Amino acid sequence: MEKKEKQSFLKKVLTIRGMGQVLTVTAGLIVLCIVFGVLNPTFFSGRNVGNLLRQIAPILIIGIGQAYVLITGNIDLSIGSVVGMSCMISATIMTRGVNPWIAVILTIIVCICVGIVNGLLVAQCKLPPFIATLGTMTIGRGIAQIVNNNYNTDAIGDAAQGFRDVFYYGKTFGIYNTIWIAVIIFLAFNFLLGKTRTGRHTYAIGSNVEASKLSGVNVVETTIKTFVVSAFCAGIVGLIICATSGMGTMDSGNSYEMYAVAAAVIGGVSTLGGQGLLGGVVIGASIWGVLQNGLQFAGAPVAMRNIVIGVIVVVSVLLDVIIRTGKPRKKVN
Amino acid sequence: MKRKLLSAIVCAAMATTLLVGCGQKTETKAETATATATDAKAETKDTASDKKVKVILITMDSTDQHWVSVDKGAQAAAAELGNVEYKWMAPDKKDDAQQIERINNAVADGANAIMIAANGPDAITASLEEAKAAGVKIIYVDSPANSEAEATFATDNKAAGKTAGEEMIKALAAASKTDGKIGIVNINASTASTVAREAGFREAFASSKFELLETQYGEGDAAKSQDIADNYITDGCVGIFGANEGATVGVGNAIKGAGGGIIGVGFDKSDAILSLIKDGSLVAAMSQNPDVMGSEGLKAAVKAIAGEKITEKNVDTGVSVINKDSL
Repeated sequence: MEKKEKQSFLKKVLTIRGMGQVLTVTAGLIVLCIVFGVLNPTFFSGRNVGNLLRQIAPILIIGIGQAYVLITGNIDLSIGSVVGMSCMISATIMTRGVNPWIAVILTIIVCICVGIVNGLLVAQCKLPPFIATLGTMTIGRGIAQIVNNNYNTDAIGDAAQGFRDVFYYGKTFGIYNTIWIAVIIFLAFNFLLGKTRTGRHTYAIGSNVEASKLSGVNVVETTIKTFVVSAFCAGIVGLIICATSGMGTMDSGNSYEMYAVAAAVIGGVSTLGGQGLLGGVVIGASIWGVLQNGLQFAGAPVAMRNIVIGVIVVVSVLLDVIIRTGKPRKKVN
Repeated sequence: MKRKLLSAIVCAAMATTLLVGCGQKTETKAETATATATDAKAETKDTASDKKVKVILITMDSTDQHWVSVDKGAQAAAAELGNVEYKWMAPDKKDDAQQIERINNAVADGANAIMIAANGPDAITASLEEAKAAGVKIIYVDSPANSEAEATFATDNKAAGKTAGEEMIKALAAASKTDGKIGIVNINASTASTVAREAGFREAFASSKFELLETQYGEGDAAKSQDIADNYITDGCVGIFGANEGATVGVGNAIKGAGGGIIGVGFDKSDAILSLIKDGSLVAAMSQNPDVMGSEGLKAAVKAIAGEKITEKNVDTGVSVINKDSL
């Protein structure tokens, strides 16, 4: 009796769409960690595990945002610039003597507005998402430069120490706050995606826009929601970077949209839309973070780093393709 | 039938205009070049009678604080001299192809002189030669290339890197450390100035017992550099070097977050770096003089356009060591 129940649970897990790749890349992640740990045991030290998780957190957050947009079949190229904008706007406001928490609220509001603009451009004006977000990406980077007159900001000062601790330096129950922030965002948006109507509509649009429209899904509203999620996540990461560096840098967030895509795609989110689990994004972000962190401890020659990262990223996704194309043949036998 | 005929005619017309356009392109390019040359020559004669000369500054990108300071220095000098029309052009990211485009645009825009911070020593030499052939004077600021120019205003980056290394050895000795691991946070493998700084830094450690670990690249991004420095600290480094402003901010913040105890040395002097030196997270920073590069570079450019002889061809705009005592 027990055996049968165990089997049906495993089968249940495997039938969840997209779970196959998640499990494959999880195996890949474990192998990577073991390899790095063997090359330099410091990799497994308590201090490094804490740092590593804190380094993964921002990638996970933007990965979640990008995943939302990817699931609807769109893409958000403006993530990196929104991160930079968020960092610069919050730092500039704080250096003017304003309470850091008011700066946080204002910054998030601006980021949400960018998300709304993206959503309107893509769903209402029917612009290809690549072009729409390319435009907001360039404008966003420009805003990041203008906000403080094309200068990086001064140090945000001791008054912002509380803000810096909440977003980066502080620990709660022995775990860095940044990690808690990522966990809360993951739980919240995972619930939204899996258990609410908005979430189901998000998957529906990604699978078949026309069918969803005919079934009564408000495509415009749902698309705007996904871009707002993406911009919100980018805004949070910008605040984390502001807290990390204690100042605003105009080119922060550079290329982050690509890291977000990497984390999502490695985790099984399809760029064609309609498929993807946020749990996969956790693994994808972790693989990316482990590579950046582990290669340094392994003493890999710098020229090799990029090649190693690229190869591992391709292999982890390829592995899933190989396994999946192998399955039907086995069944026939 | 009528529709097909009409569309065939329109296509043929478009194709003909294309061919005509192609033919004219090379001619127009040559015309612009000679026009710029004659303009430049005419304006060189006119400088004597106080007509405005055009100087364009081309940096590696438009967001790094360093270039903003160079531009500020140049603007101040242009205002002082009065007869200069000055512009700042830069690609938004460090990219050789884009820098070459900016050079060509500057020549087409009628610049009499170009002040340039070359991305790398060889990538843009061809377009610089073309610019010189069109009569444009070249001045290097911050980073020279392998093409002869009127003058160069730059930090001697290798020497500055060596000074940074010596400062770190001094501070380590004061903390009774003569061996251990040292981490280097650089920018990338292609920016000549920061590569030279690392070379100088490693030279300072040549005869010491310290182990210099494999350099990591943080692209000059403060947050990335901080992650790298965090990892160096976990790996047991006793000293960390940041090769530019972003890297130094990251190194300082990482040391601060770890509670101190590691010697941090870096470059440049932003407000954040100064506060990190004040609270002891960083021991020293090599402060460059980008505004001097800008102002002296512009003055030399104007001199070169007027045909005056420039005596100092290689000016080391210098670094000053900023530490707790000098604040």
